[in-house]
Amino acid sequence: MKCTIRKLANRNGNPGCENQKTAAMNSLLLDACPECDLLLKPAAPAIGEKAHCPRCGFMLQRPRKHSIEQTFALSIAGLILIIPANLMPLVGIKILSNLQDGTLWSGVVALMNENMWLVAILVFLSSMLFPLLNIILALLISAHLYLGRPHRKLALWMRLLQQLDEWSMLEVYMLGIIVACVKLSSIAEVKFGFGLYAFVALLVISAMLSSNLDRYSFWQHIDRLIKRGAA
Amino acid sequence: MKYHSTALAQGLIRCHDCGRLVKLADKNQRCPRCNCALHARIPHSLQRTTAFLLSGYALYIPANIFPIMMVTQWGKNQLHTIIGGIIALIDSHMLPIAILVLVASILVPLLKLLGITLLLFCVHYRWQVDARLWTRMYRIIAFVGRWSMLDIFMISILVTLVNFGGVAQIIAGSAATAFAAVVVLTMLAARCFDPRLLWDLQRDD
Repeated sequence: MKCTIRKLANRNGNPGCENQKTAAMNSLLLDACPECDLLLKPAAPAIGEKAHCPRCGFMLQRPRKHSIEQTFALSIAGLILIIPANLMPLVGIKILSNLQDGTLWSGVVALMNENMWLVAILVFLSSMLFPLLNIILALLISAHLYLGRPHRKLALWMRLLQQLDEWSMLEVYMLGIIVACVKLSSIAEVKFGFGLYAFVALLVISAMLSSNLDRYSFWQHIDRLIKRGAA
Repeated sequence: MKYHSTALAQGLIRCHDCGRLVKLADKNQRCPRCNCALHARIPHSLQRTTAFLLSGYALYIPANIFPIMMVTQWGKNQLHTIIGGIIALIDSHMLPIAILVLVASILVPLLKLLGITLLLFCVHYRWQVDARLWTRMYRIIAFVGRWSMLDIFMISILVTLVNFGGVAQIIAGSAATAFAAVVVLTMLAARCFDPRLLWDLQRDD
């Protein structure tokens, strides 16, 4: 894959002649770095390239090929996979010919039975609810953008998706499964259920989903749709 | 005159959610594109970060002292703290996994707490530092935070799988709640910290 990192020297050439008025007039033509607030001229990196802030190095843009279509397709795949990943047993262990298996939900229930409410809620949110919401929101947004239909909640969904992204922790859960299995392998026979394969696939899909979603172009598309809806 | 011009210096605010630049007009302004409240810098960033950080420090102690799980095997009860679990892994010759758990559940939370403390000191005392380097530290802190949840997820799996009455059973301990709270609090602290403050206080670069 061709991924050249290119620093774009798109700083305002001479800040002396940029007075407040012109800056405000050009406010839509300018861009600011979210981490250091440097005023920039928007770069237009090609697909496969990245635009970094020249001052703090923050990755501003990373355009993706067919970002909307891919997000649409991936979120449908994710929505299908999330059903077996949640309902079917992930792993099971065998002790004295007794088999015990666990799903995502049974882990939450087991914690609740021990009155560990806070932990149970946290596990439920980060391993079940937020990943599901993430996929549903990505599906809703990409479907509306793909079909070119404005919706008044579009910006709200996009904001929610951005906030939730950090709190859905499927990949961390996967690591937890691996560590738990290694720990158990010394005392019992560990068996992998079908749910685990669905879970791994879901993990890959949701990782691809968040890396393929080009926030910058999504917001621009949303902006255009909102304007069209208002007109 | 600063060589670099920030959006705020030009009377512009970048919308936190959608990235649109809006002209600074009055308080309680909302973004015309996504309707979120506009702030040039995260409001009360230092106070909020300090509050989350101090709660994180306070809970870090019970998280490490109290048992995170109780293991029953053939009728024998055994209490495991976080460190005890790592030592048990080393004893059973699973060094790579032991290192993984050590990094995720002891080093990462501790370094996160210390790192955010340093960031706060840096902004509060106006240290003149290499802001690029410090922003990089902030980014690492914000990125690694979620991986500490590893221990919590592992316990949730162990608790549901190892449930054979007196033969073998694992029960979560009180440290699990404290540890989960530390992870969430440090994540919130990292979110509330505004890296732009690091850049604002640098005189010339």
